[in-house]
Amino acid sequence: MTMPAASATYPSRKVEPGSDLVIKRHVPLSRRVPMTVSRICWYLLCSLLGATMLVPLLWMVSIALKPDSNILQLPPQLLPSSFQWSNFVSGPREIHFPQLLANTVTITVLSVFGSVASSMLVGYAIARIQFPGRNFWFYLFTFSIFVPGIVTLIPIQRMFFAMGLIDTWFPLILPSFFGNPVFIFLARQYFTAIPRSIDESAMIDGAGHWKIFTRLMVPLTKPLWITMIIMAFQGSWNDFLNPLVYLNSETKYTLSLGMANFMGGLSEATPQFNYYMASNLLYMLPPLVLFFFAQRYFMMGLGTLGVSQK
Amino acid sequence: MTAYLFILPMIVGVAAFVIYPLISSAYHAFTQWDGLSPATWDGLANFRYMLFEDPTFWPSLRATAYFVLLSVPSSIVFGLALAVLLNRMIVGVKIFRTIFYLPVVLPSIAVLTLWKYIYDPLYGLANQLLTALNLPTSQWLQSDRMAMPSIVIIGVWGVGGSMIIFLAGLQNVPTEVYEAARTDGAGPVRMFFSITLPLITPIMLLQVVLGLVLAFQAFNQVAVLTNGGPGTSTMLFMYKIYTDAFGSYPNLGLATAEALVLFVIIMIITGVTLKTSSMWVFEETK
Repeated sequence: MTMPAASATYPSRKVEPGSDLVIKRHVPLSRRVPMTVSRICWYLLCSLLGATMLVPLLWMVSIALKPDSNILQLPPQLLPSSFQWSNFVSGPREIHFPQLLANTVTITVLSVFGSVASSMLVGYAIARIQFPGRNFWFYLFTFSIFVPGIVTLIPIQRMFFAMGLIDTWFPLILPSFFGNPVFIFLARQYFTAIPRSIDESAMIDGAGHWKIFTRLMVPLTKPLWITMIIMAFQGSWNDFLNPLVYLNSETKYTLSLGMANFMGGLSEATPQFNYYMASNLLYMLPPLVLFFFAQRYFMMGLGTLGVSQK
Repeated sequence: MTAYLFILPMIVGVAAFVIYPLISSAYHAFTQWDGLSPATWDGLANFRYMLFEDPTFWPSLRATAYFVLLSVPSSIVFGLALAVLLNRMIVGVKIFRTIFYLPVVLPSIAVLTLWKYIYDPLYGLANQLLTALNLPTSQWLQSDRMAMPSIVIIGVWGVGGSMIIFLAGLQNVPTEVYEAARTDGAGPVRMFFSITLPLITPIMLLQVVLGLVLAFQAFNQVAVLTNGGPGTSTMLFMYKIYTDAFGSYPNLGLATAEALVLFVIIMIITGVTLKTSSMWVFEETK
């Protein structure tokens, strides 16, 4: 049950590019020709599937660039008759994008910090400090992964209602400071894999747990908390149900809520789909940029699930 | 006792956001409660109403079962197929992995609103493509029969997440096993069914359980795309609970009862899956 090292997204790959050539030497020449045919088929199939994945996104870009006169044109055209770049200005203005973005960024930054910091602390203690009741707490935390959110949503909503925190961002931020069970699970696995001799020698030098955690463990577990930051970012940036339940005033909306709201109001009478799609692209941009810079961590969070099963 | 200081946030968190809500739900499921006046004990009334009088309870269970049966197997089959396809050392494979994973990165609301317009019968891309190919068009989300499959198709578009988990598992299969099989003359189809598939079953079990738990709690799709319609064809149970709890006529007692029912259904189904898994999950004996 070890996490893959930071540098290797696919840790157990043992095949070198040339190694299948060695095997092919035993294969008669007549069977080697289909190999190239199968390779071409592979590229064709992958390109076809890849195109299916990309076409909806490309179509969105096309709509985002269409002039107003194109929107209700029948039959619809795939490409804009001319590029209306101003959609990327007028669209966000119409949707109040800057306000929604500021709200979402505030909520996301705070809740990412809260859940990562608290889960690191808990994960460290569960994995590396011997204390009575350690397993009990770990199983309790793991159990809470399996409690469906909807079962707890109504009582939690009433709790925040009683505290007068409805239509504020507190219900979207506060809970993350109390640890995320999935992150704690990941953190425990990662911390357990670190050799014990490291903190033992630090303890001999008189360091306490807080010092070991902040000075030794946090720098050692960079891949872990980067993965957590990304997962927490996605969770918060994409969250729809909680903002929907807790926020009433449009000035406090998150992007997810604001975008869904604007799309819901569009019709043939108010067909600003070009504005919408332009803003939608901007909404997708931060996760996309993050993905391209930290691709291996995105896949690591999920990949770990697969590997840790072994 | 430093340890307890470290795990204090989680203890408070579990108490306030898991244990207390569970107890509160277990009590309020047996009450009449509109959220304005205090809850009053009402015995089994909510459950009786749910089972025998509520016109949308059974239809929504039916819709949920249909959704789960369509979406969980499709994400496993397509996810595994893509993973097998992309589990080779070949120039460009990383680009394809990135492309297939791309939809998973995008915010769910951005994806759903995009697809809502794709499915627009008049202006959407879906019918535009079908017309270009001379195929019959569809009403998609506005048709009783097609609404649910349309929602499931969006999930299949985001199958890259399941692909990545399978891919990580496939790369853990030792290559010597394949080499041995190849020298024994096994073809690729034989190798897939005799080696890959058995060795990948533990990961498949994880995917089935995760998929079930998530599918039973699907909400955004319906909230953005259909509001449960047309009729009750896409009235996922989760969405019904949401409307009962936070709609124009809040019935919090009924909604907590329904949430408990959902919890029990999820527990039973994942429990049965795990119990019967020994029949098809390959266990390594060393």
